[in-house]
Amino acid sequence: MYEFLFKYRPLAFEEGVFAFRPTAATYAATVLVVIAAVVTLRTYRQVRANSRPVDRRILSGIRLAVLALLVVCLWRPVLVLSQVEPQQNFLGVLFDDSRSMRIADVDGESRADVIRRQLGDESPLLAALADRFALRLFGFSSRTERIDSVGELAHDGTRTDVGQALTRAWEELSGVPLSGLVVVTDGADNADASIEETLLPLQAAGVPVFTVGLGREAYSRDIQLSRVDTPRSVLKGAALVVDVVVAQTGYRGERVNLVVEDEGRIVADEVVTLPADGEPTTVRVRFTAADAGPRLFSFRIAPQPDEMVTQNNERNVLIVVEDTREKVLYFEGEPRWEVKFLRRAVSGDENLQLAVLQRTAENKFMRMGVEDAEDLVGGFPRTRAELFQYRALILGGIEANHFTPDQLRMIADFVGERGGGLLMLGSRRSFAEGGYAGTPVADVLPVVIDPASVDDESRFFVETDVRPTRAGQTHPATQIAETEQASSARWLELPPITLVNAVRDVKPGATTLLTSGDESLVVLAFQRYGAGKVLAFPIQDSWMWQMHVDIDVEDQTHETLWRRLLRWMVDGVPDQVVADVPAERVELDEPLTLGAEVDDANYEEVNTSQVSAWITDPDDELFEVPMDWTADRDGEYRAGLTPRKEGLYEVRVEATQDGELLGSDTTYVRVAPSDAEYYDSTRRTALLERIAAETGGRFYTPDSIDGLADDVQTVGGGVTVIEERDLWDMPAVLLLFLGLVVGEWGYRRARGLA
Amino acid sequence: MRLRILARVGVAATVLAAAAWGTLWAAERLAAPAGPEPARPAGGPPAAQVQPIFRRSDVRPSLRNPSADAREFFFTRAVYNSGYRWSSWATDYPKADRQFLIILERLIDLDAYEAENAIRLDDPNVRRFPFLYALEVGDMYMSEAEAQGLRDYLLAGGFLMIDDFWGTWEWSNFEAEIRRVLPEHPIVDIPLSHPIFNTVYNIDEIVQVPSIGNAQGGPTWERDGYEPQVKGIFDDDGRLMVMINWNTDIGDAWEWAESPYYPLRYSTYAIEITINIIVYAMSH
Repeated sequence: MYEFLFKYRPLAFEEGVFAFRPTAATYAATVLVVIAAVVTLRTYRQVRANSRPVDRRILSGIRLAVLALLVVCLWRPVLVLSQVEPQQNFLGVLFDDSRSMRIADVDGESRADVIRRQLGDESPLLAALADRFALRLFGFSSRTERIDSVGELAHDGTRTDVGQALTRAWEELSGVPLSGLVVVTDGADNADASIEETLLPLQAAGVPVFTVGLGREAYSRDIQLSRVDTPRSVLKGAALVVDVVVAQTGYRGERVNLVVEDEGRIVADEVVTLPADGEPTTVRVRFTAADAGPRLFSFRIAPQPDEMVTQNNERNVLIVVEDTREKVLYFEGEPRWEVKFLRRAVSGDENLQLAVLQRTAENKFMRMGVEDAEDLVGGFPRTRAELFQYRALILGGIEANHFTPDQLRMIADFVGERGGGLLMLGSRRSFAEGGYAGTPVADVLPVVIDPASVDDESRFFVETDVRPTRAGQTHPATQIAETEQASSARWLELPPITLVNAVRDVKPGATTLLTSGDESLVVLAFQRYGAGKVLAFPIQDSWMWQMHVDIDVEDQTHETLWRRLLRWMVDGVPDQVVADVPAERVELDEPLTLGAEVDDANYEEVNTSQVSAWITDPDDELFEVPMDWTADRDGEYRAGLTPRKEGLYEVRVEATQDGELLGSDTTYVRVAPSDAEYYDSTRRTALLERIAAETGGRFYTPDSIDGLADDVQTVGGGVTVIEERDLWDMPAVLLLFLGLVVGEWGYRRARGLA
Repeated sequence: MRLRILARVGVAATVLAAAAWGTLWAAERLAAPAGPEPARPAGGPPAAQVQPIFRRSDVRPSLRNPSADAREFFFTRAVYNSGYRWSSWATDYPKADRQFLIILERLIDLDAYEAENAIRLDDPNVRRFPFLYALEVGDMYMSEAEAQGLRDYLLAGGFLMIDDFWGTWEWSNFEAEIRRVLPEHPIVDIPLSHPIFNTVYNIDEIVQVPSIGNAQGGPTWERDGYEPQVKGIFDDDGRLMVMINWNTDIGDAWEWAESPYYPLRYSTYAIEITINIIVYAMSH
């Protein structure tokens, strides 16, 4: 309509400069019109008849307006435009070739269909563009490729990287006169890079980007698993607590099942009540990693009726389930029931090896669960290498005085430097009562050790129930039942235990998981210290949770608690050699950086070892990639790898020094297409508008795309010519003229003056 | 070898010290007035001199709440129903218990409650004491509640030490009783290679510990219990639940450890094996 009335598109008026182009005849005609105006005014003044003064003023006004319009037209108004020279300039047209273009979210028509219909090889728009520009077509997803026709688009890209596409097209066309770039996409960019860096050179070069946004801005009905946070590796049999972020539109309040599968076997099935539209909710699911090896876990909500995009209902994550035996040292200063019941609790756990060193009399020790006849034969380890071979250390009723200053320092370093787990149990010989105040061990403990609290006269003693804090209700170490609710309830049912250590305060940054019934005493708290973690568990008879008459003989609460606690302590404790890949999944042919950290037996970084990554590809072919010290950080080695096959790659890193193996570590990486394209795949109008606005282009939707060719010609860069466009012959002017004339006649008729 | 000799010398010295202490303690008890004395015929011995240190009939099981004492170990006797002998569970009680605890405290670093503790098998509080000592089980006739209580106790993780019963008749009674408790678990011999014989002291021989009456020479056995035997009942995971000392009277050796007439060899063995059993029970 606008174009019908005003002949040109609004953009022409925005970009053009308004000017008059009068000739000599124009001036003569203007004089005549002015005379006519004067005559008109005088005539109206003289006429009396039966007219009122107001009638005369209106009628003379209309007549003068007609004459003024005539004068304007006689002055030949024009729009001065800088127009792109036809066929002298290039135009890059970039088509989104990613999978999200297959989503049929507008009237059952896919985004790819819209491209074919409106910008296909036979479409009038592409023809119009081809008339005016030398077109260069590109298809882009994670990479950007030149294409000869729109028909070549397969829409199977697994990522959308608009920034990379613009840069690539701009680089390719930078040597030729370029009018601009047209990007046809849904804008559902899932690249990590910022668009800012891409736009700057385009702005500097004056290349306008015209963006065409496809798809809907919001789905009417869709469920999406926005995020799944899982650890990269866990110990076999570990109880995993995984947060899954679910977002939805159109299904508010409905109950759906979130299913977790371990290589096809259902391991969890959680009922989720869907939140309000657009508000993500976090669902906590629990399951057990029962089978060892690299396992593909899938998290899924079954497609719902009328759901627009079903591919975003599922996420797959590779978790390496380790089947190792993690060594834990429990040092107890006296015969205690905790030893018996703790050993029993973890004896059925094949992945925990509990070595117990128990003092039975002064300088007399009993060893249990040791691997070797020589292990711990001299009592508590005296060298770092001896202590650091364990992943976790439990200190029972052993007074600080038993250790040498170096051993106390070593225990602190076990946590801070080696990254091990430390747990101190309650007894008359631990915490402040054990004389730990002021020692390096007190520094690493999560609780405040107050020597003033120790009173030899009245020995502290409390019998109390235990209650989990908010953190304790959800923390993996304190999950003693199948569900969060059951676990919280179970804690409150457990029989009372006794405390002989007055531990009331935790340090800043520490987390309390369990408290006494009146919440005045700390029962379980932890903090991360350096590379490791430290727990304070100042109860002296957790075995009551096994033996008490209220506990059923078959009950597994005590076992579950200690297994989870120890598993959590050893979880993530590094070996001497740690292999690392940046992501659990990469694209085919995507370069990948393999990393490794190498320490010696004392857990000091080694920069001079020979490190190799032994790669087993999906076809079971083994090859070696040497790794080099990065020189940026001590003990860090790196190598590059570009996977050429889809499937699972095993990466085994081995480090040797002076011909001796320091250690090895195995990790896995999955080479598979990303499913990211279907997540957050609605049209991102804001991004596309921003690209257009910051480069001087325009944003279009399929409904407004018709003017694209004219607009590019109007605002585009490259080789341009100055063009003047007449405005006097706009239909709007004629309509105004007719309107005024008819208006005058009508007024006269109405007033009876005709 | 030298270490073992030293250990034995240590045990012997401790036993002697305990014996001396026990004598003094007994003398004090005997000397102390025990309330208003009844009038007695002139010429007879003073009443206090004819009274034993403890009278079994005076003893009531002290079913205290152990956590109130906040101690790690309680030497706990199982109180059970007995047949023809009234309260056979209380044989040697509590002198043997107290005397043993005195020695225990000196030999190992264990936070043990220094007095006796006895509890009925059908008392729910029995589960607070993971170590139980029962003797004279040849006369044990448990009620249903006691059998069930003991069963749950053992399956939950409790440990039972059996002592002082002799010969085939008493064995058959005990066997019948324990069958009621743990019908699915057989009684097996515990060989000397078992770790329980080496937890603290190295024991390489099962000694027949005689009662005070048989310790002065002559046969050490009673009835037809000629050969001392150590047997056990293990749970499904191979963990020892019940340790049975048959044809021996370890408790008497504690009770009379201070007596100059009781041979040191027996009391040394009795204390060593009991300490081994307790430390084993507390760690396995």
